[in-house]
Amino acid sequence: MSIEVRKITKTFGSFVALNDVSLHVASGELVALLGPSGSGKTTLLRIIAGLEEADAGSGAILFQDEDVAGVDVRDRRVGFVFQHYALFKHMTVSENVAFGLRVRPRRVRPSRVAIREKVQQLLKLVQLDFLADRYPSQLSGGQRQRVALARALAVEPKVLLLDEPFGALDAKVRQELRRWLRRLHDEIHVTSVFVTHDQDEALELADRVVVMNHGKVEQIGSPDEVFHEPASEFVMNFLGHVNVFHGRLEAGRLHFSDLTIDAPPHQVGGSGAVRVFVRPHDWMVETQAKGVPSLKATVCQINAAGPQARLRLITEYGEWIDVDMSHERYQELSLYTGAAVFLVPRDIKLFFDGSNGFAAYQAAREQMQREARHLSPAGP
Amino acid sequence: MGTGTAVAPRAIDEPAVVRWILIVTALCFLGLFLFVPLAAIFVQALEKGIGVYLTSLRETDALSAIRLTLLTAAIAVPLNLVFGVAAAWAIAKFEFVGKSVLITLIDLPFAVSPVISGLIYVLLFGLQGWLGPWLAAHDIKIIFAVPGIVLATIFVTFPFIARELIPLMQAQGREDEQAARVLGASGWQMFFRVTLPNIKWGLLYGVILCNARAMGEFGAVSVVSGHIRGLTNTMPLHVEILYNEYNFVAAFAVASLLAMLALVTLAAKSAVEWRVARQLRAAQSAGPEEGRKS
Repeated sequence: MSIEVRKITKTFGSFVALNDVSLHVASGELVALLGPSGSGKTTLLRIIAGLEEADAGSGAILFQDEDVAGVDVRDRRVGFVFQHYALFKHMTVSENVAFGLRVRPRRVRPSRVAIREKVQQLLKLVQLDFLADRYPSQLSGGQRQRVALARALAVEPKVLLLDEPFGALDAKVRQELRRWLRRLHDEIHVTSVFVTHDQDEALELADRVVVMNHGKVEQIGSPDEVFHEPASEFVMNFLGHVNVFHGRLEAGRLHFSDLTIDAPPHQVGGSGAVRVFVRPHDWMVETQAKGVPSLKATVCQINAAGPQARLRLITEYGEWIDVDMSHERYQELSLYTGAAVFLVPRDIKLFFDGSNGFAAYQAAREQMQREARHLSPAGP
Repeated sequence: MGTGTAVAPRAIDEPAVVRWILIVTALCFLGLFLFVPLAAIFVQALEKGIGVYLTSLRETDALSAIRLTLLTAAIAVPLNLVFGVAAAWAIAKFEFVGKSVLITLIDLPFAVSPVISGLIYVLLFGLQGWLGPWLAAHDIKIIFAVPGIVLATIFVTFPFIARELIPLMQAQGREDEQAARVLGASGWQMFFRVTLPNIKWGLLYGVILCNARAMGEFGAVSVVSGHIRGLTNTMPLHVEILYNEYNFVAAFAVASLLAMLALVTLAAKSAVEWRVARQLRAAQSAGPEEGRKS
C-alpha cells in the first residue's frame, strides 16, 4: 500500500507545523522522517494516521490512490507505535496484542482460538513469546517497544507508522532494535514510516530519508544521497558535523580563509558570497606544504580515544577547524599540540548566501541534467 | 507504608527532644479534637446500656431517617459518578473554549456555604421561587420533600469525583485512548476497556469521599428539608432534632452510626490509597532487564 502526501498544511494557532508538504512512499518501502524537534515530522505522521487533521482545504492523504480524508482513524487500518508505547497497563502482554482483534465487531472478529494463535505467532515474531503473561510494568524498555510493535501488527495494518520508535531507549538497546526492525521489515514488507531526530538511525534503517525543517521538506532521497549530496545548508548541517567558512565564488574560483581553489565541478556557475562546508573527515592533512594550495593551521586539541583521531585546529585567521583522521594516519604524521599542519579539502559543498531549500537545488539539478543531455552526443 | 525504616540523613535530622515535642504536640492535638469527641459519641450512646441503644435505633423515625439517607446517597452518588467522569474526561482530554470556567464552576460547591446551596434551591423551586407557581400548578413538590433533599445533596457533593479524576486523567494523557482508537476500538470499547481500568482506583476514591459527604451533609439539606419527622429527615437532621429534645441517648445512637460510617470510609480510603501506592511502586520497581533511559 503506497502513501501519497499531497500539499498538506497544518497550523496550531499561529504556529505553522507543516507548510505545503508533499511526499510519496512506495508500497513496501521503509521511510524515515528526519528532523529536529519542532520540524513537523511527528505532526505529519499523526496526520497520515488520522490522529490529527490537516488544515481544511490544504491537500490530501492518499492510501493507494484513495483519499482517506473521510476515513476515521479506526477504519484506516494503520499500525501506530507511540513514542512511549502506550501499552495498556492493566492488560498482560498477550491481552495487549490481542486488543485490536478483540474489539472487532462480532461478524469480523476471529474466533478465540484464532486470536490466541495469532497472538502467539506475533509474539514469536518479536521474540517475546516467553513473556506472554507478564504485565507491561514488568518489562524492560526494549521489550515494551516490541510488544507495542506486535500489537500494531496484530490488526494486519496496511501501513505501519512509528513515532520515535527508539527515542526512549539507551544507546546499546537502540542499536540492537534498529537492526532487528530492519530485518523484520525485510521479512514482512509492510509500508512503514518512522519519525526520528537521530540521523544515524535514519541513515542506517531507512530506504529513503525525508529531511524536514520548520514544517517543510528540505530533501528526499536515499541515505547516500542526503548524506553525500545534501540539497541545502540545513541538510548538510543536520547530517553530521561540518566546518563552515564564509567565502566568495568568482569566475569558477572559490576563495575562503586564505585559500583559493577551483570551484567543485558541479558548482562552477554563478558568483557571489557563499558558505563553504567541509566535513571533518574530508580534509587531507600534511605536515609540509606540497605545492598545492593549502590552509595553514595549528593543532590545538587532540582526542585519540575513539574509532578515529579527532583534532581541533586553528587557522591564522582564528577560524576553528575540526578534522577526523584514521589512527594510522595520525601516527604516521606524529602530530602533537602546537604542531603546524597544511590542510587540503578533499570534498567541498557550497551554498550561496540566501539560497536555500529543496526547490533551488532541484532547479539547479534539472538545469544541469538538461545541459548534460544537450552536450552528450548520445542524447536525444 | 512507604520506605519503612529509612533513617533521615543526619544533616536534616532534629535532636531527639525536638522530635518528641513535635510528636507529643501532634498527638495531644489529635486526641483532644478527634479522638475524645469520637469516643464521647459512643460513651453517650451506650450510657444507658446496649438495649436502650438498640431500641432508639429501631424507632420508626430513626429507621425512616436511615432509609432516606441511604436513598439520597444511592441517587446522588451514581449521578455524580457519571457527571464526574464526563467532566473529567472533557477537561483532561479536550481543548475547548470555557474550559477554565468549567473547572472553576466544578469547585463552586466547595467555595459556597452549604446553607447558600440549599437556599439556591428554595429560591428556584420554593413556593415563592421562580419555578414555584408552575410546580405548584402541576402538583410537583420539590422543596420540603425528598427531591429537594436529593438535589441539594447532588449539588454539594458534585466536585468530589470530578476533582479526584481531573488531575489523574490529565497526568495519564491521551495516548492510551489514541492507541485504542488506532487499533479499531469504538468509543465505548475505548472507555470501558482502556480508560475505566486506568482510572478505577481514583474513581473509587472519589466515590468513597462523595458517599461520605452525601450521607453526612447537614447544612444544605437542612434548608430544603423542612424537618418533617419520618418523611424528610435524614440522619444528620434527625440527630439534631433528638438532641434539641434532650433525648441524648437516641441522638448519640444515631450519631454513632454516622461516626461508624466515617470510620468505615477512612478504612476504605486507606485501603484504596495503599492499593494505589502499591501499584505505583510495582510499576516503578519492575526489574528492567535491558536498560531504560532514565
